Amino acid sequence: MTKLSDVHDYGSSKTKSRNGGLSGYLASKSPSVPNLTQTFTTRSMKETSPERAGYQQFGSPLVEEPTNLSVIDLYGDEDDEDADDDEDADDDEAEGSQSTSGVIADLPVSSTESPSLEAPNAFGAAKDLSQYDRYGFKKQTAHVSQEEYHMWWDQYSRYCIRRKRKWQDLLEKSGLAPSNDVPDRFPPRSEKLKRYVRKGIPAEWRGQAWWYFARGQEKLNKNAGVYDKLLEGLNNKKDKNNCKDLEVIERDLHRTFPENIHFQKDPKEGQEPLMIQSLRRVLLAFSVYNPKIGYCQSMNFLAGLLLLFLDEEKSFWMLVIITSRYLPGVHNVNLEGVNVDQGVLMLCVKEYLPDFWQRIIPKEQSRSNEFLYKLPPITLCTASWFMSCFVGVVPIETTLRIWDCLFYEESHVLFKISLSIIKICEQELAGSRLAHRGLRARTHGRDDDDIEVFQVIQTVPKKLLDPQDIFDRIIFKRRVPLNNLNQEEIDRCRKYVTSQRLKFKNCAEIMGDRTSAKASAKRDLEIGPDFVNNALSSEVYGFRRSLTGAHWNNSIKEKVRQIRRK
Amino acid sequence: MGWVKSPIHKRAHQNKRYNTATMLQFKLVLLGDSSVGKSSIVHRFVKDSFDEFRESTIGAAFLSQTIKLEKHPDVTIKFEIWDTAGQERYKSLAPMYYRNANAALIVYDVTQPGSLVKAQSWVEELKNKVGDQDLVICLAGNKVDICDEDATAREVQREDAQLYAQEQGLLFYETSAKTGAGVSAIFQEIGERVYQKKGMEVPSSTQARKPLNVELQRPSTNDSTSCCS
Repeated sequence: MTKLSDVHDYGSSKTKSRNGGLSGYLASKSPSVPNLTQTFTTRSMKETSPERAGYQQFGSPLVEEPTNLSVIDLYGDEDDEDADDDEDADDDEAEGSQSTSGVIADLPVSSTESPSLEAPNAFGAAKDLSQYDRYGFKKQTAHVSQEEYHMWWDQYSRYCIRRKRKWQDLLEKSGLAPSNDVPDRFPPRSEKLKRYVRKGIPAEWRGQAWWYFARGQEKLNKNAGVYDKLLEGLNNKKDKNNCKDLEVIERDLHRTFPENIHFQKDPKEGQEPLMIQSLRRVLLAFSVYNPKIGYCQSMNFLAGLLLLFLDEEKSFWMLVIITSRYLPGVHNVNLEGVNVDQGVLMLCVKEYLPDFWQRIIPKEQSRSNEFLYKLPPITLCTASWFMSCFVGVVPIETTLRIWDCLFYEESHVLFKISLSIIKICEQELAGSRLAHRGLRARTHGRDDDDIEVFQVIQTVPKKLLDPQDIFDRIIFKRRVPLNNLNQEEIDRCRKYVTSQRLKFKNCAEIMGDRTSAKASAKRDLEIGPDFVNNALSSEVYGFRRSLTGAHWNNSIKEKVRQIRRK
Repeated sequence: MGWVKSPIHKRAHQNKRYNTATMLQFKLVLLGDSSVGKSSIVHRFVKDSFDEFRESTIGAAFLSQTIKLEKHPDVTIKFEIWDTAGQERYKSLAPMYYRNANAALIVYDVTQPGSLVKAQSWVEELKNKVGDQDLVICLAGNKVDICDEDATAREVQREDAQLYAQEQGLLFYETSAKTGAGVSAIFQEIGERVYQKKGMEVPSSTQARKPLNVELQRPSTNDSTSCCS
C-alpha cells in the first residue's frame, strides 16, 4: 500500500498489462472514505514505515505492509475479467452499454487456463498455479474434486461478471462511480443494496466494501496510531502476558491456510512468507490490545482471511470489530460467548427446524430449557461455525458470500446461514434414511443415528461449493420461515440465553455447596430435570411470529373475504 | 455404548464361521495440548494419510472408523472419535466431549516437555470428573519420528512417561502420525481394553454408568441385548 515496489515484487513476472492493472488496483486501494486519504499519506510517510520495518523481533527482515494488495488479481480464473476491469474507468461505461449476453460471450470463462503466469513469479517456479483459485486457495479439497470445481466455476464466474456489472450500474446511478475500479464509498443502506450484498460483492471490491459496511474507518479514526503503538510495544518489551499467547500464536501461524499459496514458503527463497509475518503481527498486537481475549484459536483464520483482502492495519481493526460487535464474548478466555450462541442456535433450531430438533434431542428433554445449559453434542460441531465465521467450514467462495452479508447485516446472518446449512443436512439425512430404511430398522440403533447426524453436519457444509445452494435456495425464499430471523430477535435471544445460563450456573453452584466435595466435582453431570424445571420455571423464550404468519394470514384474509362476499 | 448383537451383512460373509458378529460402538475423545498431533493421529488412523501442515482444529472434529479386533476376529468395533482443539481455553468445552466417552486418548509431543504436563492435567481432570473405572485412558507420546532423525530432539524420555502411565494405570504408547508407527496398535489396544471392560460389565454395569448418562440417556429401542436400556 505504501510502496509500489512491494507490489511490483509480487507482480514483476507478469505481463505488462497485468502490471498496469495491479498499479491501478493499488492506487485505488488506499482511500476508503474521504478523510482517509489524508490520514493515510501522513501515516505512510511519517509513522508507518520506520515502525513496521523496525519490527524485527522474529529475526526476519520485514517489508512494510507487504501483503494483501495483489492477492485477488494475481492469477487464476478471472484473469480476463480482470483485464477488462483494469483497463480503465472508461471501459465501465462501454461495458454498461453492451448487452449482457454479448458481454458474457466475449469473456472466456474457462477455468482451466491461468494465463500470464508462464513466467516464474514469486511462487510460480515450483507450483502449478492452475490448481489454485483466484484467492490462492487450492481448488481441489478433500470434499471437492477439480472437475466439480471447474463445472461450478464455469457457471459461477459468469454470474460474478453479471453481478459486477450490476454493481457498477448501481454505483454510477448513486454518483459513486469509482475513478479506478475500486470504489471507496457505497450507496446508503437500502433494501436494494442489501439484496446486492446478499448476491455477492465483487471479489476485488470486497476489502473496501467490508471495511465500509463494518464502519472500520470510524474505528480507525478513533484509534489513530494505536496499531503502530502496539507493534512498537511488541518490539520493545516482551511482557510475560504477551509471551503466553506468543507461543500458541507461533504454533498456529503455519497451520493457517497451509494450502493457500500466500501462506506457503517460497521454495526458492525459503524465507517466511510475508503473509505469515503480517498474520503474526496482527495476532500479537490483538492479544495485547484485548487481554480479555488474548489469542483464541480460530482468530488465526479470521485474521488470515481478512489479510487476503485488506491491509494489515485494517485487518487488525476488522478483527477487533468482529470479535466485539458480531461475536461478543465468543473468543473470551472462558468461551462463554460460544455457549451462548450455541444456545441461541438451538433455540432457533427448535423453532424453525422442529423435525431436526426431535432428532437431536430426546422428547423428554425438549420440554425444559436444560439444553441451554447442557448443550446437545451437536453443538460441538456447530461451535466452530461461529468461532471462525465459517472459514474452513464451507468452501471459500461460500464463506466470502457469508462475510459479505455479515458486515452489512451483522451477526444474525450467521444464525440464518447455520439454520440453512442444517436444513440442507436435514434433507440429506432424510434421503439416506429413505434409502436405507429396511436395513436401518434392523441393524442401526440410536448411536448410529447420532453418528450419522454428526457426520452429515460435518461433511455436508464442506461440499457447499456453490453459494447459491444456500442463498438462492433458502435465504432468498420468502416463505422459508427461518428468514424471519432478524438482528433484533437474535439480540433478544442472546440476552435470554445469557440470563438462563447464569441461572443454571447459580443453581448448580448452590447444589454443589450442599453436597459433598466429591459430588460437587460431578455436579454438572448430576442436575436432574425436575430440579432444573423448578429452578427455571420462569418464562420460555418466544419468537416473534408476526412475519412468520404473514402468508398464512393472507390466505385467511382471502378466505374471510370470500365468506363475506357470500 | 451401543451393544448391538445383530447380523452385519457386510461382515458376515467375511467370517463365515460366525453367523453372528458382534458390533460395538465406542466413543473416544482425543485430548492434549495444541499442536501435539491429535488430528494427525486420527487422520493416520482413519484415512492413513499425513500432512506436514494441518489446519488447527477449531472446536471439535468428528470422525469414525471401524476395526476388527485382532484378538477377537468376530468383534467389530466402531470408534466414534471426537478430535478436540488443544488450546487451554477450549477446556471449558471439554465436558461436552468426554460425556459418555468410553476411552480417552491423551496425546503429548515427545519434543515438548510442556505438553506432557498438559497431558497429566488432562488425566487428572478425567479421573476427577469421569472416574476411570468407566474410562479407558491411553497416553501417547507423538512425533517420535523427529527423534529417530535427531536423537537430541527428544525432551521426554520414554521411560519417564511410561512410569507415569503405569502409576496412573494408563495405557501407554509412543507414536508417529507421520510414519504411522504405533497408531493402529493404539486403537487395537484401546478397542481390546474397552471390549474387555464392556464385555465383563454388560450384565451388571448398567447401574454404574447411569449417573453419568442422565442427560443424554435415550430410550434404546433397537435390541433386547442393548446395554444401555
